Amino acid sequence: MATQHSRAAARLMISPSVILLLGWMLIPLGMTLYFSFLRYNLLMPGNNPFVGWENYAYFLTDPAFQSAIVNTLLLVGGVLLITVVGGTFLAILLDQPMWGQGIVRILVIAPFFVMPTVSALVWKNMFMNPVNGLFAYLAKALGMQPFDFLAQAPLASIIGIVSWQWLPFATLILLTAMQSLDSEQLEAAEMDGASPLARFWYITLPHLSRAITVVILIQTIFLLSIFAEILVTTNGGPGTASTNLTYLVYAESLLRFDVGTGSAGGVVAIILANIVAIFLMRMIGKNLDA
Amino acid sequence: MARAVTQQRKAVNTAIAWIIGLLIFFPIFWTILTSFKTEAQAIADPPLWFSFDWTLDNYVTVQERSNYFRHFWNSVVISVGSTVIGLIIAIPAAWSMAFVPGKQTRNVLMWMLSTKMLPPVGVLVPIYLIFRNVGLLDTKLGLIIVLTLINLPIIVWMLYTYFREIPNDILEAARMDGAGLWDEIVYVLTPMAVPGIASTLLLNIILAWNEAFWTLNLTAANAAPLTAFIASYSSPEGLFYAKLSAASTMAIAPILIMGWFSQKQLVRGLTFGAVK
Repeated sequence: MATQHSRAAARLMISPSVILLLGWMLIPLGMTLYFSFLRYNLLMPGNNPFVGWENYAYFLTDPAFQSAIVNTLLLVGGVLLITVVGGTFLAILLDQPMWGQGIVRILVIAPFFVMPTVSALVWKNMFMNPVNGLFAYLAKALGMQPFDFLAQAPLASIIGIVSWQWLPFATLILLTAMQSLDSEQLEAAEMDGASPLARFWYITLPHLSRAITVVILIQTIFLLSIFAEILVTTNGGPGTASTNLTYLVYAESLLRFDVGTGSAGGVVAIILANIVAIFLMRMIGKNLDA
Repeated sequence: MARAVTQQRKAVNTAIAWIIGLLIFFPIFWTILTSFKTEAQAIADPPLWFSFDWTLDNYVTVQERSNYFRHFWNSVVISVGSTVIGLIIAIPAAWSMAFVPGKQTRNVLMWMLSTKMLPPVGVLVPIYLIFRNVGLLDTKLGLIIVLTLINLPIIVWMLYTYFREIPNDILEAARMDGAGLWDEIVYVLTPMAVPGIASTLLLNIILAWNEAFWTLNLTAANAAPLTAFIASYSSPEGLFYAKLSAASTMAIAPILIMGWFSQKQLVRGLTFGAVK
């Protein structure tokens, strides 16, 4: 009796969360899906006729879409490479005995707490600006031509900025994983004459593999939606050189007011994100059973 | 002998780690430093390190010209508001899933997580149009609603992982001693749950404070929090490095300090308990 009672109470306690999230998911998603089949532009009032797959055809064959897909992959891949390799190195380094470990840790994780618009603007103006930026001073001091980062290598510059923001995240999670590594195992390997590289390759890396997977999956979810950094540094340009999928959909919907095409792009973005999400969910689900 | 080698290694580790740490932190340090310079000193060639006339003028100017504190207040209201409402909705849910798990608990949790995987741009158009039609564009209330919903899965998950660690034996022991449901909640569970709730609160305020997709797309002059306010510096007029630095320093300082306190919770919260 009591169990039945508490079961009912439990259901009642969960329902607000479930209902809100269900509404948050289904209503906008349904609308995006619906709009994606309409010719619907906010600048052209009137009825919005059903046009079938026209918006998808237009969006998917737009040259901007192809470059946005390439840019999205480069952005996600580039940042993942830098943060995972750098984060693994930093995690191993910070796990060693040293003086002032706590302070170094604080210094390293600080960029994660800087809001995206601030970090993008600080890097854009105070470091990458070809006239007044610190990098320009450095180049001049070394007798080189200042380089206009955001005009000549916009995507690489954004990858740099975003990597700076996410390196702390990878480091922090991998460091947490490092701390559960059995040091006796490493010592035993050392006594048996295993080289540092062998110890890293056969003991440390396998131990970190799970945490690395988590880092990759979670960062991918966030990196697919990079937006503010692009908006305040390059506005997706020059041309579409730094436009990713998120920024392209934003531009279609809120700059060109093309609701139909923007919605079709949104659906494409959801499908791509879901492919990553399935893997991430499996990882987390496994952990839930353990 | 072995000891000397260890000390030497420790010194090398320390040197490398400090150099890398300072390099990573340098942009933040430089921003803070520049905020105390005049505009001319901010772009001086060669760059000035410490020998300049320290001034607070930029902070005053930023406040006077753009009413900085209104945006600061917007950030506070939006991040704290969305977090507190999220907690009120999430605590009962996480509680019942942790202490009265049913057959569906696992599926519900996974499903909640899946809503977090939805790319925001996929629902940008409908949210924008709904907000425009009901007058929620550029309002604090609108942003509180959106941020509550996008962070709700993280809040539920974090709370769940904390609550699940409260041992059931303690509850049974309390019941044996004749504690009623109310006593159980007030004297046994609450004291054990408070640290978890506090950590969740802290992490979510940080996440909401720095959220920069919805805040940029759904606000204009009126309800813009600091993320959107700072973005307005992307098309500057005249000399502005020192003022940008002052505005940036004020925007990141509170969250930087909170963040340093929540390092451990960050790992748990952002990996949904997959790494502890």
